[in-house]
Amino acid sequence: MRLPDRVTGLFLVGLGAAAAYGGWLLPPVPGQPVGPNVFPLVIGTGLALCGLAIAFGIGHSFEEAEELIPVEGGQPKPAPPGRFYGLRALLPPALLLFYVAVADKLGFILTAGLIVFVTSTALGARWKLSLPLAVLAPIGVHLIFSKLLRVPLPAGLLPMPW
Amino acid sequence: MLKTLIDAFALITTWEVIIAMFAASVYGLVIGSLPGLSATMATALLVPVTFYLSPIAAIATIVAASTMAIFSGDIPGALLRIPGTPASAAYADEAYAMTRKGEAELALGAGVWFSAVGGIAGTLSLMILAPPLAEIALSFSTFEYFWLAFLGLMCATLVARSSPVKAIASMFIGLLVACIGIENPGGVPRFTFGMTDLFGGIEPIPALVGVFAVAQVMRAMLTPEPPPIPKRRFGSIMAGQWKLTKKYHVQMTRGNIIGIIIGVLPGAGADMAAWVSYAMSKRFSKEPEKFGTGHVEGLVEAGASNNASIASGWVPSLLFGIPGDTIAAIAIGVLYMKGLNPGPTLFTEKASSMYAIYLMFIIANIIMIPLGIVMIRLASYVLRAPRSSIMPVIMLCCAVGSFAIGNNMFGVVTVAMFGIIGYVMEENGYPVAAMVLGIVMGTMVEQAFVTSLIKSDGSILPFFERPIAAILAAMAIGALVWPALVWVWRKLKREAPAAASAR
Repeated sequence: MRLPDRVTGLFLVGLGAAAAYGGWLLPPVPGQPVGPNVFPLVIGTGLALCGLAIAFGIGHSFEEAEELIPVEGGQPKPAPPGRFYGLRALLPPALLLFYVAVADKLGFILTAGLIVFVTSTALGARWKLSLPLAVLAPIGVHLIFSKLLRVPLPAGLLPMPW
Repeated sequence: MLKTLIDAFALITTWEVIIAMFAASVYGLVIGSLPGLSATMATALLVPVTFYLSPIAAIATIVAASTMAIFSGDIPGALLRIPGTPASAAYADEAYAMTRKGEAELALGAGVWFSAVGGIAGTLSLMILAPPLAEIALSFSTFEYFWLAFLGLMCATLVARSSPVKAIASMFIGLLVACIGIENPGGVPRFTFGMTDLFGGIEPIPALVGVFAVAQVMRAMLTPEPPPIPKRRFGSIMAGQWKLTKKYHVQMTRGNIIGIIIGVLPGAGADMAAWVSYAMSKRFSKEPEKFGTGHVEGLVEAGASNNASIASGWVPSLLFGIPGDTIAAIAIGVLYMKGLNPGPTLFTEKASSMYAIYLMFIIANIIMIPLGIVMIRLASYVLRAPRSSIMPVIMLCCAVGSFAIGNNMFGVVTVAMFGIIGYVMEENGYPVAAMVLGIVMGTMVEQAFVTSLIKSDGSILPFFERPIAAILAAMAIGALVWPALVWVWRKLKREAPAAASAR
């Protein structure tokens, strides 16, 4: 997902301009010089200026050459297989949105089990690991959050006995 | 004073606090030691749990988990050359070189010992610095608060290791996020696009969880699994540490002081402290040629530094609500929820709670030594857990934790969205820490700014009239102009040799 600076910079210009315009449209507080409109106006203008600077590479010269810190570990894979390999990164947020969509109907245990199974498999686990994990992890999390911390997790199709 | 101290002791010697602290310590040690799971993420995922604890127990978990996680990041750094947290990245190479020389015990022992010393030094700075600063801060008006917040935001961009322009842009994005909602001077729905869920604004905690936890799971999807740790038996871990302390006491003290200073600066945290101290240690060492070959000196200084910054990061957080680093940003959220609103009056009205915080920091740093030794011995088992079993659990905690914050599903949507935002920003060199700072401080900056403008009737002049405000303004503007000056200076320096060679 590495985009050229020009793209991100111009996106920021758009975002900043939109914010400034949106702020400008807000109604002022009657009888006062400043209201809710000033701050977005200032921020939006600043953001748009930064976006311009980034798009035209100002200040780029003292972006230090990034030292490769293997925070995650190892070197990145040499040749990612397939064109859509990068889209795998979108799996975690997609699963969270999936949780929002179906948790109320299916219940926490089933939804969470699915999420765990998919995440674990995507990270390369065999079913011998991911299947027991998908059963045990939701029960464990349910026990901690629902039983001990009283978070009202949706029961759905498979309510827990406690 | 003595009575407050006794009250503070009474506050922390309840079973709830003791159990919470112990559990959070173990949790912090484990999360910190797992590569890719940072101390900030450990703390962010802990927040939903703190809702259900008493105020002191809630703060105890944050203090214990963050302290432990910063140390235990050293463990995989020394054993695998993969830092467990970014704060250990500065000296992971050095520690690993020591392990290869057969000095793993010394490297890890130095990690735990000098981390504890650093943590206690940081706590002392918190105890000494905060109350007198609170006295001064009592007379601050919105003008001073505005400049202070501005200075804080500028610091975050100055110390970023990426392009400062991008850091400033990230900060503006954060401030823009903070604009969402009806909590603004006019009380009108702003940038809500007609969605009632957005009326309350974006909560900082789900945003933090998204940026630090979900984005990390996203990155894990594209990077290969770190190698398993080789089994080894450790000798005595603490042997030789006292000798090191005596030999390198100058380095240790310098590390502590640098860590404290960097911790107090808003936005710069343990990672920065470790980098600066390691570089400093090399610069001033009598034997710089030994660095990189498994020399303990840099480890001593950087280890003492990153833990010192954790405690001192609480100074601006407690005084002004300006976070010293991303962990302190989370702590501020918890403080607000628990009715301990940051501000100078906290030190007079809630003095016993403040003493309780100091005590907890000291206790956390002391119990870190035995717990850390146990953790080092167990590391080969803990680090054997495959990523594919840890990340799914993190995902569940993200979903449930963000739901628990407001008991509504919108929190989960926020986490998912900020996961994407954080991932894209980090990939493109926009530091997310600056954005987080913007989100946390946004409301406060706007309030100070707009109130000041109303008071001054739209004029800019009163922003510079009060003496402290003028000093703060000069510093803030200096911070703003500084990158430009550096840029010009570098340009001149680069052109001078070019001109010389042309002749």
